[in-house]
Amino acid sequence: MSDVHERLRRLLFVVPYVARHRGVTVDALAKQLGVSREELLRDLELLTMVGRPPFQPDDFIDLHVENDRVWVDLDQRFSKPPRLTGPEAAALASAAELLRPAAQSALASALAKLEKVLPAQAKRLYRELGSAVNARSLASEELGTLTRAVEERRELEFDYAGRGSTAAERRHVEPVEVFNHRGQWYLYGWDLGRGSERLFRLDRMTAIRRMDRTFSPRSMPPARVPDPAERGEVRVRFTAASAPYLRERFGGEARELADGGVEVKVSGEERWLVQWILSFGGEAEVLEPAWAREAVSRAAMRALDGTR
Amino acid sequence: MDRTERLLDLVALLLDAHEPVSWAELKESFPDDYGSGSDEATERKFERDKAELLELGIPLTYVQGDEDRKDGYLLDRSAYYLPEPGFTPEEMAVLYAAGSAALASGAFPGRHDLQHALRKIGFFAGGELATPRVRMELGAVRETAAVPEHLEALWAAASARKWVEIVYASPKRPEPSTRKVDPYGLVLRRGVWSLVGFCHLREGLRTFHVHRIRALKMNASKPRTHDFEVPADFAIDAHVPHAPWQWGIEPPVEVRLELQGPLAAQAGAHFPDARVERRGEHTEVVLRVTLLDALLKHVLALWPQARVVSPEPARARFRALAQAVASRHGARA
Repeated sequence: MSDVHERLRRLLFVVPYVARHRGVTVDALAKQLGVSREELLRDLELLTMVGRPPFQPDDFIDLHVENDRVWVDLDQRFSKPPRLTGPEAAALASAAELLRPAAQSALASALAKLEKVLPAQAKRLYRELGSAVNARSLASEELGTLTRAVEERRELEFDYAGRGSTAAERRHVEPVEVFNHRGQWYLYGWDLGRGSERLFRLDRMTAIRRMDRTFSPRSMPPARVPDPAERGEVRVRFTAASAPYLRERFGGEARELADGGVEVKVSGEERWLVQWILSFGGEAEVLEPAWAREAVSRAAMRALDGTR
Repeated sequence: MDRTERLLDLVALLLDAHEPVSWAELKESFPDDYGSGSDEATERKFERDKAELLELGIPLTYVQGDEDRKDGYLLDRSAYYLPEPGFTPEEMAVLYAAGSAALASGAFPGRHDLQHALRKIGFFAGGELATPRVRMELGAVRETAAVPEHLEALWAAASARKWVEIVYASPKRPEPSTRKVDPYGLVLRRGVWSLVGFCHLREGLRTFHVHRIRALKMNASKPRTHDFEVPADFAIDAHVPHAPWQWGIEPPVEVRLELQGPLAAQAGAHFPDARVERRGEHTEVVLRVTLLDALLKHVLALWPQARVVSPEPARARFRALAQAVASRHGARA
């Protein structure tokens, strides 16, 4: 996108915005527009020179900055921003797909309204481009229950089967945040039964129930999906065939081996480790420690014996 | 005069005009820009300005005069101003939350367009919009610094229907190759962005991971002319699967799995597009598989909550994979 295009688009928004928010501070306006303070001041200066020919004093946009606040005299010409362009509407619609599982009907009606306010030309481009980006996430409709509970600060109950566990347990949680990590949906919250913050994967939750009881948010560290591929004490080597994929994931931390393979060090969390090694079907080998080698070996033998 | 300033002045003039503004009047109003130089050069300059305004969604038209009015350019005010879309709070929340999450992820195609769209739909909203409590985190790979910029360029190229030239290297073909691609679309799966397009080198539809693109250039000639059209029957969903065993590499086979424990209850969520059959105590899923090893490795990791029921060649291959892991870890079969 050219700089002129980007700047013009911003400036056509600034005047109506300031007309609606008179006396907005320079910093707040810069934040709203996603530009630096300096860039905004340059924009505002340009705007004071804008008017209609023949450029009599009354023909200029009456915009000024005073005490770090921005003012504009009501300018009927620029009372509202221009309509959405085709690409703007298409970008919004494709981002919205992310939450489709959570809000089927609200999303459908929102997109219908969006399309209705597009001029004919933009509508055509919107339809063409609408199918060009696909960020749809897969999740059950229960995602909507979670996002609503977070918004309304209402407690949740659900059955949860953690990684590798064989039976689900009932959990009682104060939900704080819902997020998508590498395509997987998670709920982060305070587990009332365990008395600590916990992370739950949506696809392992069943029988979700939103409770009537509300809660006030506790102070909690930010949610973080543990990355077991982070440096740990377990040494794993990979064959040359799988090495390129490991290089992509581990970057410079993948140590090159003479046979074209790579070696990495990962976390020793047993359940994760065993599953991860198994998922390479023989392309990965735990070198040490011995307990980890044995755990992988046992798991593989059990799978083999169970498939005779 | 600065071009941005001239374009804004032009909009201001046309928004104020109550009758068509003739070319002669425009030349008079902008003597330095349209009034001097050869007719051909000034007309070209105005055509470029007009095209820029049209791209911004400004409804500028040329009207032929009649008895009542003269020839000239007219800006249709009723089509210029953003009308209030009338979103309900819930509709607003879903658009705003998803849009903000996409922006905050750091890599979303059409980032600038999305920012402007959010601002525009927020224009009529009273008061502060709530901070959305939804997030999106990408990142299944380390080297992603160039991804946002490449996504932005691909979005621009897909919008303008211009081909791109990419330098691409993948684990399977590590030697970088330069290809011309018509970008049909972009897909996000499991935190990884892919480009789907017509590859001139291979003369067919190909999928490229955006993080594996080393360099990217959009065809700069004739920016307002389409280089290609996307075939009407193109469906981007068909090219980038949700699960790795749907990659379309081998002829499809139907694989039946038996699920136990908590996984049985989550069959639908865990195996999208699978046929789920409840059989009394246990659950079975039937999958259409076009990359068998990918599924079998996944099942191996899920053991004993998932087992391969049929067909027999899939069971045999599963045993071979389990055997390979066991042998590498010193177990005797």
